Amino acid sequence: MSFLTLDHLQKSFGDTKVVHDFDMRVEKGEFISFLGPSGCGKTTVLRMVAGFETPSAGRILIDGQDVTGLRPNQRQIGMVFQAYALFPNLTVADNVGFGLKVAGVPRAERGPRVAEMLDLIGLPQMGGRYPWQLSGGQQQRVALARALAPRPRVLLLDEPLSALDAKIRVSLRNQIREIQQQLGITTIFVTHDQEEALSISDRIVVMHRGVADQTGTPREIYNHPTTDFVANFVGTLNRFPAEVLDAATGRLRVGGTEIELGRPVGPGPLVLAARPEGLVLAETGIPAEVTGVEFLGSVQRLRARAAGQSIVMDRFNAPTAALPAPGETVHLCPLRSHWMVLAQPEAEIV
Amino acid sequence: MKRLWSWAALVIGALYFLLPLIGTIEFSLRMRRGAYSLDAYRSVLADPAFRATFGYSVMMALLTIVLGVVLVVPTAYWVRLRLPRLRPVIEFVTLLPLVIPAIVVVFGYIRLYNTSSILPLTGTAGGTNILLLCGYATLALPYMYRAVDTGLSTMDVRSLTEAAQSLGAGWVRIIGRLILPNVLGAVMSGAFLSFAIVIGEFTMAALLNRPAFGPYMQLLGANRAYEPAALAVIAFAVTWGCMGVMQLISRLAGVRKTAT
Repeated sequence: MSFLTLDHLQKSFGDTKVVHDFDMRVEKGEFISFLGPSGCGKTTVLRMVAGFETPSAGRILIDGQDVTGLRPNQRQIGMVFQAYALFPNLTVADNVGFGLKVAGVPRAERGPRVAEMLDLIGLPQMGGRYPWQLSGGQQQRVALARALAPRPRVLLLDEPLSALDAKIRVSLRNQIREIQQQLGITTIFVTHDQEEALSISDRIVVMHRGVADQTGTPREIYNHPTTDFVANFVGTLNRFPAEVLDAATGRLRVGGTEIELGRPVGPGPLVLAARPEGLVLAETGIPAEVTGVEFLGSVQRLRARAAGQSIVMDRFNAPTAALPAPGETVHLCPLRSHWMVLAQPEAEIV
Repeated sequence: MKRLWSWAALVIGALYFLLPLIGTIEFSLRMRRGAYSLDAYRSVLADPAFRATFGYSVMMALLTIVLGVVLVVPTAYWVRLRLPRLRPVIEFVTLLPLVIPAIVVVFGYIRLYNTSSILPLTGTAGGTNILLLCGYATLALPYMYRAVDTGLSTMDVRSLTEAAQSLGAGWVRIIGRLILPNVLGAVMSGAFLSFAIVIGEFTMAALLNRPAFGPYMQLLGANRAYEPAALAVIAFAVTWGCMGVMQLISRLAGVRKTAT
């Protein structure tokens, strides 16, 4: 029995169907990310779990209890918002203690719990401050502590890192994950940032046009995307139109070069795709003309044109290896295990 | 040259406002022939009718503020939260008291709530007081609504509401503990304007025949020479005193916020 069940949720605003048929089971203590572009319905699903939106159809169950008809303040859910939403008239300690006060926890018990929460987020000295005296990152940590203080059954994070600058975003995301694992709290995290989703989640739901396109671990999502949208949205993808020579053995022709995948493929034409790290330079292979080289420290990024496509190739920095110069022709050799076979999208068939 | 003009404008402006005031004060001190004295003030303050009407109006003003806050804060909040498309309509409605003269409102009241109507509020003093209170709240509506709405615009009403809801808070707590304290400054300025309006209001109180300060001032002005001037000065002092107190309160609230 799963802990949080989203049972065939649907949501329409007027004539616009925002969420089509969203079905998901979340285990206790799991960290789930909803990943997708803006307008894909991920926030709407989250808001339905929180109770701010009522599903047009479907049910939401927490720990076996149907909460679909409950008001937001009856659901025992902790939520963190993109805009922090700390109460400006209350101190940090009063903000964190707010949910406990509402729940009728006596003052004597509130104090220690608030102190415990402030310790957890690493701001033990800040209890007497007001929200406007804190930095954005500190405010968001207080918002997290406030959401966790009343021991909610589910924690919802609505793009909590989007308003922060890059460095704080990374450190806070690690802190969120640490706290989540320490408390073992079931968490849903909404983001449009794939790196965030990949680094932090137990499982990711990639959403597209109100539908869950694929659900899986970060590795599955990145390495084995099942739909074209997921393949494109998560990570960078190089795409090569391919002609099928022998479907049974997976012999294909790509840009004048024959490639054997060693596994059967569907009837062509297909698109062969690889991540930037799935390509290597070799003596023979798909010819490509280098258009640019970026040195990013640990990684070198090569931009090239091959088989009529712009492609990106990453390789680890090697102090002795020479970098190809723009204009030079190189050969790209596929790493067999890295290739993905995608059905060619209709729009691209000329 | 430019500077000279601005100084000239300032001086003219100051004279425009201060001269009548100085004239009134000077006049109010001349009750005793040949010497300045506070006789007029003594006479006014000793008049039991002054104390009664002034007390009545202060009471009504405070009740008006309470009624205004209770009416306006939840309304403005709800409109911002759930009915943003209705905002222009509500704003228009709140501006109506500026367009419709008080005398029209009060005649409307008298027609609607006279002793032969379903709700004969004018039949008793208490009922008429309620009617007057509603009238005052209507007069104060444009100022109160605007002030509160501006206060609400400085905060993220929706996120704060949802945060509070997810923490288990109900509407009463959200409005009382979160929304109201955060618009207190705005409520204060709205309250001050309401107070000023109610203290000097004449039409409604006179036509509903309530013993308010406005009709008393009028009565005194028609019958005495020096006392009305003293009364005007007192009214000024009270108004400015209120303004000072409001400033002080908001300043103190600010200090509490910064001193940590």
